[in-house]
Amino acid sequence: MTNASRTDVTPILHVDHLDKEVDSGERRLTILSDLRLTVFPGESVAILGQSGAGKSTLLGLLAGLDAPTRGELALFGQSLAALDEDGRARLRAGRVGFVFQNFQLLPTLTALENVLLPLELSPQPDAEQRAREWLTRVGLGERLDHLPKQLSGGEQQRVALARAFVTGAELVFADEPTGNLDPATGERIIEALFDLNHQAGTTLVLVTHDHALARRCDRCLHLEGGRLVERMPEEVSA
Amino acid sequence: MSQPTRMAKGSRMLRLSARGLIRDLRAADVRALFMALALAVAASTMIGFFLDRLDRGLTRQAGQLLGGDLVLEQSRPFDTELRRTLEEAGLTLSDQVDMVSMVRHDQAFQPASLKIVDSVYPHYGQNRVDLGEGVEPLAHGPSPGEVWLAPRLALLLEVAVGDSVQVGQMELEVGGLIEREADQSAGFGSFNPRLMMHIDDMDATDLVQEGSRVEYELLAAGPAEAVARVAPLVERLRRDGVEVQDVSRDRPQLGSALERAEKYLSLAGLAAVLLAGVAVAMATRRYVDRHLDTAALMRCFGATQAELTRLFSLQLLWLALAASAVGAVLGLVGQAALLRLLSTFLSLELPPPGLLPLLMGVFTALAVLVGFAGPTLLRLKKVSALKVLRRELDPLPASAWLVLAMASLVFGGLLWLYSGDLWLSVGLLVGGLVMLGVLWGLGSLLLGGVLRLASALPRRGGQEGGLAQALRLGGQQLARRRSASLGQLLAFSVTFFAMAMIVMVRGDLVSTWQEQLPEDTPNYFAINIQPAEREAFAEVLEGAADARSALYPMVRGRITAINDQDPREAVPAESRSDHALRRELNLTWQDSLPEGNRVVAGKWFDELENEAGWYSEVQAEASVERVPISMEDGLAERFGLALGDTLTFTIGSAEVVGELTSLRSLNWDSFRPNFYVIFPPGVLERFGHSYITAFHLEDGESETQRRLVQEFPGVSLLNVDAILGQVRDVLTQVTRAVELVLGFVLLAGVSVLYAALTASRPVRAHESGLLRVFGASNRLLARVQGAEFAILGLASGLMGALLAELAAAAIYVVWLDLVPRVHWGMWLTLPLGGALLIGAIGQLLSRGLRRQAPAASLSLLGEA
Repeated sequence: MTNASRTDVTPILHVDHLDKEVDSGERRLTILSDLRLTVFPGESVAILGQSGAGKSTLLGLLAGLDAPTRGELALFGQSLAALDEDGRARLRAGRVGFVFQNFQLLPTLTALENVLLPLELSPQPDAEQRAREWLTRVGLGERLDHLPKQLSGGEQQRVALARAFVTGAELVFADEPTGNLDPATGERIIEALFDLNHQAGTTLVLVTHDHALARRCDRCLHLEGGRLVERMPEEVSA
Repeated sequence: MSQPTRMAKGSRMLRLSARGLIRDLRAADVRALFMALALAVAASTMIGFFLDRLDRGLTRQAGQLLGGDLVLEQSRPFDTELRRTLEEAGLTLSDQVDMVSMVRHDQAFQPASLKIVDSVYPHYGQNRVDLGEGVEPLAHGPSPGEVWLAPRLALLLEVAVGDSVQVGQMELEVGGLIEREADQSAGFGSFNPRLMMHIDDMDATDLVQEGSRVEYELLAAGPAEAVARVAPLVERLRRDGVEVQDVSRDRPQLGSALERAEKYLSLAGLAAVLLAGVAVAMATRRYVDRHLDTAALMRCFGATQAELTRLFSLQLLWLALAASAVGAVLGLVGQAALLRLLSTFLSLELPPPGLLPLLMGVFTALAVLVGFAGPTLLRLKKVSALKVLRRELDPLPASAWLVLAMASLVFGGLLWLYSGDLWLSVGLLVGGLVMLGVLWGLGSLLLGGVLRLASALPRRGGQEGGLAQALRLGGQQLARRRSASLGQLLAFSVTFFAMAMIVMVRGDLVSTWQEQLPEDTPNYFAINIQPAEREAFAEVLEGAADARSALYPMVRGRITAINDQDPREAVPAESRSDHALRRELNLTWQDSLPEGNRVVAGKWFDELENEAGWYSEVQAEASVERVPISMEDGLAERFGLALGDTLTFTIGSAEVVGELTSLRSLNWDSFRPNFYVIFPPGVLERFGHSYITAFHLEDGESETQRRLVQEFPGVSLLNVDAILGQVRDVLTQVTRAVELVLGFVLLAGVSVLYAALTASRPVRAHESGLLRVFGASNRLLARVQGAEFAILGLASGLMGALLAELAAAAIYVVWLDLVPRVHWGMWLTLPLGGALLIGAIGQLLSRGLRRQAPAASLSLLGEA
């Protein structure tokens, strides 16, 4: 149970009494139980938890990729329960960015084309120019025409970062962004992520099991036994 | 290992493989493999069953179809001496006369193909005739005084059993309607309906005059030893110009058409097998990818490479056998449909389907598996057990060149097996690979164009960007998945091309050819005009016909020597079975060069007069060793003849030797009487002859036709339009049969699409999931997929239209000597039809993918 009281500002994310259950053979498994969360614009929030705690499930719900079993969930002030799948997709377009653990670049597209992908669904003037600029910002201005297989892991994740921010997203979800990278590269990616986030003024929701990374965020939430518990960043031990 | 242990291990492997396959049946790639193999077997067994039944039916009834065990044919009656020799050898003889003549009833008249039989007919089998109380089998022909008509002739003359018809000078009663004749002699390929009558009535009809175009047949039946006994005599007769058909050597008239049908239908069926092979190759890639983890795990548990290979090979063997069973059933249904479509030409009782085509079908399925899937399957053998810990440790994919080489080798083998012609197979394989390269290049250009066009479409705002957004994303997806898209593009282009050619041949070819003929092109031929009737006939035509050719005299003669050699030895090998050597030629004489002919070498007869002077000697009917003759240049080229070469003609019992003094080119499409060989006047007049002419009558000139038929009952009027109409009908029926085969080819093309979808499923799921994460609605995803398939169909239609247009132009120019034209309708229908068809099928097949889009996007989260 967590909250920050800013009554004058609409939360970018608001979750209340949220449950998620799934069928597993003959049993019903409770993944998340009575979850509450409010995130305001501009905040950076880390969600910590061990493997299997339900972090990815929570992320999917927060992003509107999945529907809860019970409870309320509002994104950008709009209740997701009132929307069907297509409605939730429309809500995401151009406003939500993603950074995945496995980069999730399309192998047949160049770096530039991968960054342009979200702009196909939320077109903006000078889309290609924007994409080039973002790739330059992440240090890949010379690698626009390279395919993912020609890029290192760190470089691929930097492309993914550019892709996440190119639409001017208000909210960025990062799912274990350094999970597949060595520590040194991971550190560079995190620096880039927070740097871009700060420049763009986006809200960041970060799912990780890395406590050091979590401490860099404004808020730290622990997913334990299907529930969220907020702790101060400095209380998060290494 | 002891025997029992080996057996136990073997049966365990069989059970394991069967269980594995059953569990796997829900996988899309296994379904795609099944579908492709079943189609390959269906196509090959359909044609295999059909041809095998036909072959066995013809062989079994060869004697019946021929009308005897030995059949002799010439244009004059057979002498008594020959008859006595054959009878003494132990053969029973039956006489038959064939000719074309007009048959009349009141105001109606039709040319009919007369079959004049004796009381011995038929040697074998039975006629099926309706004598007025239903069709019944009869082991005899019509009695004197009566005729049997083909139902079509009765319809055209508006007569029924019991009515009378006029044949020549005689009136005969319609005694029955022939549903099926005991033999097929002269039946196939004749466009005039049948009239059968007794030989005792022939003289009274007065149809047989000197020079009339009549074929006399002597049908001999008896044991093989009796036929063998007269072999030397028969050989002598052959050399003397008598046409001989021996049931032990020659196939009935249908036989040569059947041999060609065997070759080309088999090749058409192999097109379906080829496409199925491509589908197998694509589906196998996915199958192998899916089983890599399983294989790694089994290696961890102690399976050897050999055991792994055996396990997966057995699974696929079960699959191939199951697919063969389904394919064979489809093939049985298909061959029944083929027989029904071609029933007009095949009025035979056929034996039931045999086992051999089924075994060939199974063999084809296994060959396709080995050839198209083998190299890819070997990856499973190479999986390392370490892959369970290091997931990225996949064995390298099979080299594309190895896959192509293996597939080409196996497919080449199948081509040879089915066509029986090594060089044709090699030619087709090499030509096919070259075409593949060319089409691949063309297709790559087309896909590049699609990418550029799609990328040029504007990025529309929001979710409802509509058609432009869908086309943009769909086109980009299609173009970026290059190899798979090219494979599908080629498969569908070739299928659409083949279907377009069929439609063109059926509808367009004959009518375009007719349209390009001049307006007053003759539409009637008159044959068997007697010398005494010539002037009167010309007079009737004078006032009535718009345009007419001259009346040409005609004598029947056979080439019996070339430069004093046996003609078959004197001509090049490929011309030995030329019809001009096998049959009597129509010889004519002219003093001036006929209309439409042009001398291309040597000199015409009147020019020779000035040089050698012996032209006038010929006119005086002095006996000369060689007379000058003029030959059509195409025939001279086929026979390898030049000016100065001599040809010996046997006319009746006399011989005439001619020396080539000129070669002519002529237009065979002119619908004027055209002649291979022309003599000067004064040489052939002493032989029995008749006249032939061609003329143009307007539709409303039926009065002229009636007058001609009434005043000249011995003359046959052949309506060219009616014949062309029947040609068109025959083409329609035959092309319908080919269309059935092409239907399987199209289904095989769809199996390529299905296999491509299954192979690209993980990639498509990834893309759809990602697009959905970025805000694409399900409706947009559906539209994008639909656009992708529609563009594929459109591009395939365009390429198919291009190939068809080029092929048609080549046929027009090279073969038909016509001006090629653009088929605008095809350029519209093929691309649009392709877009609709492939778009719809693709949408249907990718439904499952769209349902999984939400799950696909969720699977992007966490560890992949």
